Amino acid sequence: MTGKGDVPRSFEAPRIVRLERNLYAACFSLMKLLPARYILDRAQAAGRLLPGGSVVETTSGTFGLALAMTTAVRGFELTLVTANSLIDPPLRRRLEQLGASLHVVEDASGSGAQAERLMLLKKVLERRPETYWPQQYDNPDNRWAYGSFAESVCREIGRVDCLVGCVGSGGSLCGTGGLLREMFAELVILAVDTQNSVLFGHPPGPRLLRGLGNSVLPSNLQHELIDDVHWVGVLPAFAAARQLYRQHAVFMGPTSGAAALVAAWYARRQPDATTLVILPDEGHRYQHTLYNDDWLVGIKGWPVDVPREPVTLSRIEAAGEGDWTRLAWARRALATVTAGSCRS
Amino acid sequence: MASSRRDRQNPRFDQAAEQGNERSGPHLKLGTGRAIAHHGEILQGVFENEDGHLLRGLITLPLAAQQSTATYWPNGPGRIRTRPPGRGKAAKAAALTLKHLGFANIGGDLTIESDIPIGHGYGSSTADVVAAIRAVAAGAGVNLRCSTLSKLAVQAEGASDAIAYGEQMVLFAHRQGDIIEHLGGDYPPLQVVGFRSGGARPIDTLNLPRARYDQQQIAQFKALRGLAFRAVKQQDPRLIGYVATASARIGQHHLAKPDLETILNLAKAFDACGVQVSHSGTLMGVIFDPTEPGVVQRSRLLRDQLERSGYEGVITFFVNVDGVFRQ
Repeated sequence: MTGKGDVPRSFEAPRIVRLERNLYAACFSLMKLLPARYILDRAQAAGRLLPGGSVVETTSGTFGLALAMTTAVRGFELTLVTANSLIDPPLRRRLEQLGASLHVVEDASGSGAQAERLMLLKKVLERRPETYWPQQYDNPDNRWAYGSFAESVCREIGRVDCLVGCVGSGGSLCGTGGLLREMFAELVILAVDTQNSVLFGHPPGPRLLRGLGNSVLPSNLQHELIDDVHWVGVLPAFAAARQLYRQHAVFMGPTSGAAALVAAWYARRQPDATTLVILPDEGHRYQHTLYNDDWLVGIKGWPVDVPREPVTLSRIEAAGEGDWTRLAWARRALATVTAGSCRS
Repeated sequence: MASSRRDRQNPRFDQAAEQGNERSGPHLKLGTGRAIAHHGEILQGVFENEDGHLLRGLITLPLAAQQSTATYWPNGPGRIRTRPPGRGKAAKAAALTLKHLGFANIGGDLTIESDIPIGHGYGSSTADVVAAIRAVAAGAGVNLRCSTLSKLAVQAEGASDAIAYGEQMVLFAHRQGDIIEHLGGDYPPLQVVGFRSGGARPIDTLNLPRARYDQQQIAQFKALRGLAFRAVKQQDPRLIGYVATASARIGQHHLAKPDLETILNLAKAFDACGVQVSHSGTLMGVIFDPTEPGVVQRSRLLRDQLERSGYEGVITFFVNVDGVFRQ
């Protein structure tokens, strides 16, 4: 399973860079390679996925790319179910060149069409029951895949006081955070979400910041691990990503911008704490968008300044794409927090 | 793969064994060897080797204050007799070492003097075995690498620990006698208040059921291995405390120490770095940073409290510190 013929494994580990005296960033080329490889390893070890077997997953982007890379080198057949609102032509070409078959669902509302995608996936599974479905949202292996990342963090940084990361499936933040907190009981975990994502209680709606948030609730998100939640709109996320590139020459995607924004804010407020932020993917996929000024002028509200601090809420409240809001989550269950909040 | 790496680690191991009877008695003289005890582990679990295979492994906490000393008198062809009688594993280790060094069928007398208590997890049996191997090697006038020594120890008793490595902190596969990872150097300086917890009945460690670990725990062991490496690199006792405490907590799922939570609270109250246990024994230890101000006072108060609470075998010992082994 390891060694020969497993090139993607070499791209799994992030570069850990020091942005400020007390702020480290883990820069992943493509973070999802880690859970993709680990989940397939486990399926192969359990005999659930046999040589030449087939894999199906519903995905909006980077997990699909990671699966496509891993299945390509391991000789598995991959079917990806996605929505036309989620996939751009360059990504589509990359996936198809890796040998993946794509099923693209119509998504006029722009909310991700999760229900329709799942229905289509079920049909694929009914037609070919031996097909393996990784289920990144609910498969706990998605969290434990981050053991090797937690190891790198410990080797290179040692004790960490605050972990900041984006939430989509919950795998990276809750996996890494859970493992680190087992050693550092006082670890503060800040979750970064976006407007109109249901993860921390927003009503579902179109999400302009792709790769962050979710329209369904994955069980890999463990709300009781989270100290603070930050909702970052697409505009401050873009501005923060551009600033990260300009200031540190760290060339990452828009969700990394959102996470870096929150982490820099925390690090400024807590100079004695060591903060680590997870940056999930590089900027190359976004050269024609986020890193293209001609494209950005077409975005309503652009340009914006990078905000210095979030608006602190006392209950869950929807906000706009220009906003950055924050709620002290205090390691509570989602139902506990929503019961105390009335949605606007 | 595995065997080729072993050969690289121990270039003389197989080669010397193949030489068989080429050497003979005249080269052997009286030899003495020592080995230290340990106080359980800083970390125990399962870890990936270079090939991605999971191996059971541990980081030993050395206890240099207690030792086993073995003396070997060569006595021509025959068997190994031990004093006190019945130290079969040490005798086997001596015989294996003789064979390994090319003195097949040579016997002798092996005297073991040890102040290590038996059966609580102090590694008394391994210390006897390692001391016996060193005594024979000294008698033959040869040096043995730690890795060769550990291999012989595992052959003699089925499992071993890393005491042959002294103050070098290593992640050790105790069932194979292999190093999983050299953690980069010496243990950080440590001061430990150790004691025996719960029922102080002796335990036959080789007959304990092997622990089964789930995916979460296996992932946790990766992080703990990384932190142990960092602890050595930075010579940071605090990080050792985090590693030991987390490992002790995972150990609760296998051989539970009923008073772990009590001891963890005590450790916190005395601003210690953490708590370690012997994962297959009854030992527990509260780890302090010997370089911190006030540590002498704090550790003494803790020690008094443990003694008043009726714990047995309370000792204060040091690892990689200038001065005494033990108070």
